[in-house]
Amino acid sequence: MEANGNISELQVDPQTQAVARIYADALLDAASAEELAGVIEEFHSFVEEVLVANPDFRTLLNSAMITRDEKLAMIDRTMTASATPTFANFLSVLAKHDRLSLLPDILVQAQQQFEIRSGQQRVQIISGRTLTSAAIENIQRQLSQTLPFQPILEVSIDPSLLGGLVIRVGDTVYDGSLRSRMKQLRDRLRQRSIHEIQSGRDRFSHSERD
Amino acid sequence: MKFKADEIASVIQKEIETYRGQIETSQVGRVLEVGDGIARVYGLSGAMSGEMVEFPNGVRGQVFNLEENSVGVIILGDHLSISEGDEVRTTGALLSVPVGQAMVGRVVDPLGNPLDGKGPVLATETRPLETIAPGIAGRQPVKEPLQTGIKAVDAMTPIGRGQRQLIIGDRKTGKTAVAIDAIINQKDSGVICVYVACGQRDSSVASVVEILRKAGAMDYTIVVNASASAAAPLQYIAPYAGAAMAEYFMYQGKATLVIYDDLTRQAQAYRQLSLLVRRPPGREAYPGDVFYCHSRLLERSAKLSNELGGGSMTALPIIETLEGEVSAYIPTNVISITDGQIYLEPNLFFAGIRPAINVGISVSRVGGNAQTKAMKKVAGGLRLDLASFRELEAFAQLGTELDKATQGRLDRGYRMVELLKQPQYQPLHMADQVVSIYAGTKGYFDTIPVSKVAQAEKELQIFMRDQKPEIRDVLVNTKTLDDATEASLKSALQEFLVQWAEAQKLEKKSA
Repeated sequence: MEANGNISELQVDPQTQAVARIYADALLDAASAEELAGVIEEFHSFVEEVLVANPDFRTLLNSAMITRDEKLAMIDRTMTASATPTFANFLSVLAKHDRLSLLPDILVQAQQQFEIRSGQQRVQIISGRTLTSAAIENIQRQLSQTLPFQPILEVSIDPSLLGGLVIRVGDTVYDGSLRSRMKQLRDRLRQRSIHEIQSGRDRFSHSERD
Repeated sequence: MKFKADEIASVIQKEIETYRGQIETSQVGRVLEVGDGIARVYGLSGAMSGEMVEFPNGVRGQVFNLEENSVGVIILGDHLSISEGDEVRTTGALLSVPVGQAMVGRVVDPLGNPLDGKGPVLATETRPLETIAPGIAGRQPVKEPLQTGIKAVDAMTPIGRGQRQLIIGDRKTGKTAVAIDAIINQKDSGVICVYVACGQRDSSVASVVEILRKAGAMDYTIVVNASASAAAPLQYIAPYAGAAMAEYFMYQGKATLVIYDDLTRQAQAYRQLSLLVRRPPGREAYPGDVFYCHSRLLERSAKLSNELGGGSMTALPIIETLEGEVSAYIPTNVISITDGQIYLEPNLFFAGIRPAINVGISVSRVGGNAQTKAMKKVAGGLRLDLASFRELEAFAQLGTELDKATQGRLDRGYRMVELLKQPQYQPLHMADQVVSIYAGTKGYFDTIPVSKVAQAEKELQIFMRDQKPEIRDVLVNTKTLDDATEASLKSALQEFLVQWAEAQKLEKKSA
């Protein structure tokens, strides 16, 4: 699994997400307000610089061949020196519960929860064509006025939208794209002409209805 | 016919001019897994139970299960065109079907799409699939008769408008035939009929439609078809769709008759869905709420109070039993919800007694109030008489000598059984039924050999129509059999017997 949190939504397993969320919440609760940002940063660097840089170490942590006590001892030896006590404890707890394999998922959840706690939330902007930085700034300003939190924009381009914008906040989608408007129009036109055609048929061909 | 190009173009132009694009707001989720008519969807955090959702290719679905991390959706359409990762949108609406006069005479699927090749259905209104049944204040007791045209039913287990009468029996015992006769007999009575075929063979539904069309019954009938090849979700919602279509007319103050053929299959479809979304199985692996599934459907049948227009919805649910096992889960459930049952037996069916109604265990709990006075008078004790005849018959088969009175009762019984036989798709008018049953119960057929009773009855009907129309007219108009009419009916029957005896003599001579 990719460790940088860019896992596609397809692979999302709701069950794992729910468990990861619990650990993420616990970590954030355990850290005091001042060290919150630090813990998240430490978490990032742990995943990127330790796990990704040393795949063998990651395999070791996820391996079922190694007993829980051995893993605990290993974390103790390698981490206590460099990590903050909160983070080291967090790793020990994960090891105790055999949840070390969830680390990348927990990071994603922790990042999201951290943003929500600090009054921010990710907002996906999908646009039909490349947006100028002025336009993005404009969107940012508009959104922060209407939304109850500070939006973090994630802009992507999808030419099949033809034009307009699709804004996604959590599960809610505001679809103002040309594609969906044309679809609406097509449905209405079809509905309308079906009605015209059929009533014309009914008028002229009573023999067909028995 | 031809379209005028500019006519169509102007319609389109007007539509485009008045078009105002709106930003669509919806909740989205992604399909985690899909198969066998259900999908599990991640996201859709605001989805409501029973809400309609839309898949990218336009297929609709209904939110069925709300779980902690995902949503179970039943797919109403082609589930093979949906794949993992597809986006699912909520619509904020409940599932609804088109209703109205335009539906009458059509064969549609449970979503209201036409299946009869007669072009789109021009319904202007829709109605939610599931509505709450009218409450106590909205109802009045069942008191108007719904004539099925079947002598055995109208005489012994009468059905009233707004009643729910179960038709139950093994396979191939004529359950559908009873229902079809009831539809055919509604001609000229202003009752709108809905025939819901659920899990039936397409070929048998096609033949039902053909029979109805030939009998001129499609003019007031809607056929909703979710055949055995349709996906389980469609079979599951079909009865609700039929109920919604009938309900529309009920709330317009009209009388309606809806037939669910059959609810066993619907329960099986519901069981399949429930097991797929991992609801815990109960008895016979049906989910715990299969009773509610049927009770909320059948509770929607009602005779509305006059303030609500006085419309009615009569339901004839059909249940298929296995080897006459009425104590299985689904049959007992539906028996307890309905206001009575018509029980059809294979033994009787193969003995040539058709409709094969077992009068001993068939009952109608409320229909008695709805029976016409004339019928009540002539058929009052018929059910009990026939039931005791069956006991006596079993006893007489032992070959013991019988006294004259017992033999008399037996002879009368044989003739009554013969008289209650009725060919398929030939419903009889109430007045004709009264005359036949009166003649039978008062012993006018006792002198006629059992094998000739059917023929004699037929000729009696012709005689009454041709030579004594005034008696029939009184019965048709007043629906009562007063003393004067009874006296003239008696003398008419005497006259008929004389004519019949002469005709028989002539026949013998010529033979």
